[in-house]
Order: sequence, then structure tokens, then C-alpha cells
Amino acid sequence: MIQVRELSLECGDMFLDALSLDVANGEIYFLLNRLGQDSDLLFRVLSGFQKPAAGRILFDSRSQGEGPGVAFIDRVADVADFDTEARVGDWIDFLCATGLNRENIYKTLLVCNFHEQHLKKKFRELAPEIFNQVYLAACLAPDHGNIVINDFIRGAEKGFELKFNRLLLQQKAQGRAILCLGGDIIYASEIADRVGFVKNGHLLFDADAAELKDMDIKGLYLKLLN
Amino acid sequence: MRAFLRFEWQRLFAEKKNLVFLGAIALFSGYFTWSGLAEFRQFQAEKDIFIRFEKEKASRIINYSQYGAYGFRLLYEAAPLNLFFINSSVLQDVESNIDSLEAIKIESSFKGKKLFLKRGYFKDFAGIPFIFGSLFMLYMGHLALVGPAYLRFMSRRMSLKKFYGLTTAARLFWLNLFFVFLGLVLFFLVRLGGVSFSGPERNVFLLYLLFLVLLLDFIYLLGQWITVLLRFRKIFFLWFFIVWFICIFMLPEFNRISVFNQSQFLESAEKVNLDKFRNLMALEQKFRDYLKVNPSTPLDQIRQMQKKFAVQFLNNSYLMNTSLETKYLRDVEKVIDGHEWQSVLFPTTFYQFLTGEASGKGFYGYLDFMEYIMRLRNRFMQFYMKNRYENNNSVIESFVKDDENIFHSSSRLPDTYWLGVLVTMLYGSILSLLAFKRLRCLVFLP
Repeated sequence: MIQVRELSLECGDMFLDALSLDVANGEIYFLLNRLGQDSDLLFRVLSGFQKPAAGRILFDSRSQGEGPGVAFIDRVADVADFDTEARVGDWIDFLCATGLNRENIYKTLLVCNFHEQHLKKKFRELAPEIFNQVYLAACLAPDHGNIVINDFIRGAEKGFELKFNRLLLQQKAQGRAILCLGGDIIYASEIADRVGFVKNGHLLFDADAAELKDMDIKGLYLKLLN
Repeated sequence: MRAFLRFEWQRLFAEKKNLVFLGAIALFSGYFTWSGLAEFRQFQAEKDIFIRFEKEKASRIINYSQYGAYGFRLLYEAAPLNLFFINSSVLQDVESNIDSLEAIKIESSFKGKKLFLKRGYFKDFAGIPFIFGSLFMLYMGHLALVGPAYLRFMSRRMSLKKFYGLTTAARLFWLNLFFVFLGLVLFFLVRLGGVSFSGPERNVFLLYLLFLVLLLDFIYLLGQWITVLLRFRKIFFLWFFIVWFICIFMLPEFNRISVFNQSQFLESAEKVNLDKFRNLMALEQKFRDYLKVNPSTPLDQIRQMQKKFAVQFLNNSYLMNTSLETKYLRDVEKVIDGHEWQSVLFPTTFYQFLTGEASGKGFYGYLDFMEYIMRLRNRFMQFYMKNRYENNNSVIESFVKDDENIFHSSSRLPDTYWLGVLVTMLYGSILSLLAFKRLRCLVFLP
């Protein structure tokens, strides 16, 4: 379970004022906001790389793995950002040697139809979609109870989006609390159980995704996100 | 740690461009060591001819007066270790002529084969890791931490400090191992090639390798620090080249210019020679004045007077001239000493000083050579005076016994070696800490 209480933060012209929300186990919550930096800032705070001005974030103790009990999946803008010059297989071996569960990595890769031959390639030789599969597998390898995702499928091909959705639903079925950050209202209505809108630093709207389907999504987008 | 070692091995040695670069370093190092070995062998052959020539020359001299005027030549033989540092030497192939004249001559011949010996800068074993190794290490330091996104990902698995420390340690372990292995393999190949090294020479070479890897580690950490400082921006390559150029070329050159400026305060060597010449001429003038006053002096009396003046010369003018020369040498030594302490201040400048001394043809090698010349000259003058005025035998006895006319220089480490090691380690530690501090600010925003 993910609990955010009175979270306030400010960075340049971006700010958030006393955000509170709960994501239950087995639920996908999509927090919609302006595209780009708003998500990045909130994600940095949630993942502990930036201190909030006030408030607190709690992740429940369902975790069986390492770390704070939460898997963070950030959007990687460029494959070169991960180019270690080693082969993908060697990188996975390294991660496993430092404590990641190899079985979980291969499970995720199997769901993504990842081909074995890619293990012999270097990161820079991978197509962005293949890279995302490896990255996702590494992120989900620890058996954490919560998942926070930052705008991960933006710009991805439909094929990858479907694989990702399948994975997400699998994780949800296993009882994990999933918080997604992003700006794609249509995607949010497809995948999420609940959706929240943040504008000008405030949580304006919080609804079930099912309700969203009955609403004028275009109108909502123009009103709340544009 | 084992996981990091295995992964960094893959990162370093599974990459083709790294292998090509390391292969080129190994190849060039091997080539210049082989070339140093060829020059060493050529020197040995030339040395044998030199010894034969000097022996034959002495046997053809008619009398001691002629022997005093011709004297004999003294050859500077560098230690065998010089073949690794053949182009890092301060002195080139030099020799001196010891005779009854006043000036001490040190000269280099460019005759015949020696004309083609001249190399450009850094073209020896010590130069290749210095130029190409440093460039490679700077680049390896740049690639080490990949980027902020990767660091954030990894620091969710382990602490940033642990990741930074172990990655740096593992990469440096393999890179250092490569350079140490390269040095040792070439050292043993040279031994197989018939060159024997004494125990102290082996130690000098091992300690040289230790400093080499410390220097390269410093350059690696410099690359890592600059990358972090410039937030992993691609513009780094411009800075990268500027920093490398300053460290490798500019600072050692500034150091050389600085020592040259310090040497300007030394009295001119020609001035010293002139003073010595005047001392000698003053005595000769006395002898001429005596002859003018006593024009009808018999020959045997003139000979007696000559001997008397010679003894007077040895006891006065010669001693004065020797003290002039010794004082001059001590002044030079002070400049060298200052240069050594100045070199310690930065790793690349100290590396240049160290390789010069390890070659056996460094500044202190020059001082030893000068002292050897003065000692030998002193003995030669005594020998010459004694035989010229006392020995009436027509057969000339050579002054040179065994291989006395070969000066065997020894490879050595500067007295400040361990201080240089400490300073380099200190620089490395500071860079490492600065990089980590900056990295933490980059990954964990305030």
C-alpha cells in the first residue's frame, strides 16, 4: 500500500501543495499531470532522490525483497544513459550477483517475449523497446509490494505497451499497489482503477477509471491537463 | 567485490575499442622496448671498439708530454635499465676527454650511426603509457559511472558510496593489472634477450611500475571527476583534451622552463673555464718571466724549474681550479635539488623526473659523472706530472686500468620518491572525494 500525506514540494516554477493520496494493494492509481517535468519531480521525491518541502510518503511492509519495499520504474530517455559497454547478459549476471532474483528477471523477460540473442548484445545495440524490456525486468526483479512508475510507456510502440500492460495487470493481480505518473489520459482510463488530476500544484479530481469512461475525456484533458 | 571485478572485466575487455587501444599500447611499448634493446646492444658493441681504440691510442703515444695533451676519453655508460627509458634521459650519449687542459669537456657525438639515434619525445617504454596510457585512463574514468540515470537505478540496489567505491576499485584493479603485467612481461623478455639486471635495478623498475600505476590512477580519477563536474555532458571531450594536454605536456614543460630560469642564476660554464684558464696562465706567465730574466739557463735547469712550477701548479692553481669546479658543481646540484622538489608537486612532472633518474642518465647521473671525471682527472694530473718530470723511460704506461675510462652510471630513484608517491596518492584521494561529493549532489537533489 502506498500512502502520500500532505506532500508539498517546490522546484523552480513547479510545485505541489499538500498532496494526499492512498493506493491500495492490488490497485493501479494513475496520477495525471502536466507532461514532463511535473512527473519527474514527483517521481524523484517519491523515489527518495529529492527531499520534499513537507509531508511524508509511506510504503507498506508487504515487501519480501530488499530496499524500501517499492520498485521504481523511471522513463529512460536514451538507451545510451545505460550503456555500460558490457553485454546485457553480463549486466544481468552482475545484478544477480549483487542480490537480484534471476528467476524474476527471466519471468518478466518471458512475458515480454524477449529473445535470448539480445543477451549477447550491448545496450547501445538494443532497440529502445528491447532495452525497456531489460530495464523493466531489472526493476521488477526484487519482490517488492509496491510499484511506482514514471511515464514509462510514453513514445513506446503499441506492441510494447500491450506487453507492459500485461505485466502491470499481472503485478496487480499479485496484490501490489501501483502508482503511475504521467500525462496520457487515454492510457490512464484503459489501465488504471483510479485516476487523479494534479493541476497548479493541487489534486483537483479523483475518480474511478470506470467513471472516466463515461465522461468527455477530451473535455477533461483540455480542462485539467492542457 | 567479486561481482564488481567480474562485471568491470566485461566492461573493459569485452569492448573492442578498448582492446584495440590496449593492444596498441602493448604493441608500441613492446616495439620501443625492442628498439631500446637494439640501441643497448649497439652501445655495447661500440663500447668494445671504444675500449680497443683507447688502448691502441695510448700504446702509440710517444711521450708523457703528448699523453698529457691528448689525454684519454671517458665514456658514459648508462645502466641496462636505460633501455626502457632511452628517450626520457636528461643526457644523451656523452663522453668526456680527460687531459692536462683546464676545461672539463662533456660532449655528444653525432657521427655515423649516432646521427640516426635522435628520437622524438616520449618514444620509449616509459613514454607510451605516459601519453597513450594517460589518454586511455582519462577516457576510462569518463565512462566509469555511465550517467545519472544509471546511477539512480543502481543506487536503488545499493548505496551510492558502495557502488562508486567498488566500481572505481574494480576498474582500477584491472587497468593497473594490465600496465603492471605489460611492464613485467617486457622486463622478462628483455632478460631473455640477454640483458641482466642487478637486484637494485629490479627494485628501481618495480618501484617505477608502482608510480606509473599511481599516476595512471590519478589520471583516471581526474577523468571521473571532470565527467561528474560537467554533469556527464558530451561537451566533456573538449575539456577532456584540454585537461590531458595541460597535465601531460604543459605542466612538465612549465617545470622545465622554471628549472631553466633557475639555472640562469648559475655562473656560465665558460666563465668558470675562463677563470681556471687565467689561473693557469698566471703561473705560466711566472715561468716565462723567469726565463726572460734568466735567458741563458741550461736545459737541465729549465727542466728542474718546469718540475718546480708543475709542483707549484698542483699545489696552488690546480687546487684553486678544482675548488672552482667543485663549487660550480654544488651550485648545479642546488638547482637540480630545487627542480626535484618542484617536480614532486604534480604527478606528471614527478613522473618525468623519475624516469630521467631511473634511466641512469638523469640529473644525478650527470652529477655522478662530473664527480667521477674530477676524481679521475685529479689522479691523471698526479700521474701525468709524476711521469712527465720524473720518469725518463721512453715507454708510456697507460693511466687507464681495466675499464676505468667507462663511467658506469646506475639507475636510481629520486630521494623524494616516496614523497612523490604520497603526493600522487593524496591528489587521487582528493579527486575521488570531490567526485563523490559532486556525484551525490547530482543524484540526490537537495
